[in-house]
Amino acid sequence: MKYIPTIGIECHVQLSTKTKLFSEVDNDARGKEPNSCVSPVDYALPGMLPRLNGAAIRYAILAGRAMNCEINAFSRFDRKHYFYPDSPKGYQITQFYQPIIGAGYVELPSGTKIRINHAHLEGDAGKLTHFDSYSLVDLNRVDTPLIEIVSEPDIHSAHDAHDYCKELWRLMCYAGVTYGDLYNGNMRFDVNVSIAPEGSSELGTRAEVKNLNSFRSVERAVEYEISRQSKILDDGGRVIQETLGWNDASGKTTGQRSKEEAKDYRYMPEPDLPPINLSAEFVAEESAKLPMMPKDYREKFGGVIKDDILEILLDYPALMVKLGEVDNKYTVLISNLFASVLLAEEKSAEYLNDLPIAKQLADLAEMNEKKELSSTATKEVFLKMFDPQMKGKDAKVIAKELGVMQENDLGALETIVDTVLAKPETKKAQDDFRNGEEKVIGFLVGQVMKESHGKANPSAVQEILRKKLS
Amino acid sequence: MEINCETIEHLAELSNFSVSDAENKSLQKDLNEILKYISQLNEVDVSDVEPTYQVFEMENVWRKDEILEQEANREELLALTKEQKDNQIKVPKVL
Repeated sequence: MKYIPTIGIECHVQLSTKTKLFSEVDNDARGKEPNSCVSPVDYALPGMLPRLNGAAIRYAILAGRAMNCEINAFSRFDRKHYFYPDSPKGYQITQFYQPIIGAGYVELPSGTKIRINHAHLEGDAGKLTHFDSYSLVDLNRVDTPLIEIVSEPDIHSAHDAHDYCKELWRLMCYAGVTYGDLYNGNMRFDVNVSIAPEGSSELGTRAEVKNLNSFRSVERAVEYEISRQSKILDDGGRVIQETLGWNDASGKTTGQRSKEEAKDYRYMPEPDLPPINLSAEFVAEESAKLPMMPKDYREKFGGVIKDDILEILLDYPALMVKLGEVDNKYTVLISNLFASVLLAEEKSAEYLNDLPIAKQLADLAEMNEKKELSSTATKEVFLKMFDPQMKGKDAKVIAKELGVMQENDLGALETIVDTVLAKPETKKAQDDFRNGEEKVIGFLVGQVMKESHGKANPSAVQEILRKKLS
Repeated sequence: MEINCETIEHLAELSNFSVSDAENKSLQKDLNEILKYISQLNEVDVSDVEPTYQVFEMENVWRKDEILEQEANREELLALTKEQKDNQIKVPKVL
């Protein structure tokens, strides 16, 4: 039987604020010792009170606007209780009843719109590492600000699930609210999958695959669930509602023992945090700080840069900002250079951590335009701009050091042409050309190029040759 | 709402407490009495009243996003735990 899958996704985004959501301790624990970014508030020592970080509210507004969401004027916090060593408080502070971000939508590159139900602010939990007979707890991540983005069940294929997660990642990165490092869990996805026979008006029973941390694993997990559930229904069985984990190596989902058998979080209002009440002016002021989003770049560069190249480049927000700074007439050249690096060079992402400055790029494009650099030389100079030894140097300086500047000085070119024409081995070609054998001009240009060590501008050389041989 | 043996067991499990049969019985009695006392409030008609989430009439109490030196360092905080290993808190195996 043919089944229609229905997918809803919850995404946790770690915000890149300087301090944590509820205490003035360093929120950036990358590369730091376990438990070194921890305050007495994170430890939940008696009498410690949470102190709300204003930046997290500003970031939430930006994140919400990036997803075309309403920002709720009034929101507040609740306690979600559970007992687990990753949370010394014994509860998570979240926004269960009145979240800060309301309904909106995310538009995929294909044009499909996925509605957002809401998104709320909450604190992250600590990190557990499991060993044979014990577990170790690192509280660095406790109360890192998160926004949890809850989509409507508007997704109907593994491919769209992938694209939705990727587009969310882009939106959050462009909005500048997260480091967006998936490998280190800056964004994590919980995917709800159900299937129903085609034409059925009722949705099937859903299974939730928790804690996916790459777009690819989202796509694979959804594919796997669709086929697993289809098989069950085809065999006349019933899908049970459960929480599953994803094993990337085996490519399968497996049942997870849940933290708590009966989900009973005993939500209650957080008494230690006064509610948030945002004025329309404040929301407008903060929303105006939203930088160019992927859709803005698609509008700006659509028709100029090829769609498939643009979609590759859009994965690198800093690169797009840079491209936006380059003069319009050089957009195509510079975008092609970036795309060629991304497609061809290994560790291309690392390459792009530290981008050339706008002036370097503009100079490079101008030299190419003036034919001072051939297209091969242009790429060579461009690549050197990422070289630690050459980094920051002017495009012209790099070109000179590489010795790839084209010779455009007509006087100098003429001298070289004369040298070549004086050589006995070019005599026959010269005669052939004069007798109307047009294609030998290529041989002569080649000889001049060789004589100039590749620095002559071929079209200028051809022009001089034609003049001299006429 | 009636607090029975199962309610106590459920709550104890949620909080990872072990409760003896005797404690269970006495907790049932205490909690039922507390609930009965509190339930007097049900006599008040609050259908037109906004629920109170906050007793202080404060709003928008935010702080700046600036790192401050903490009053307790890692060693002091770890010293409060029962057991530690490699600068982490050691707990019985959980999964």
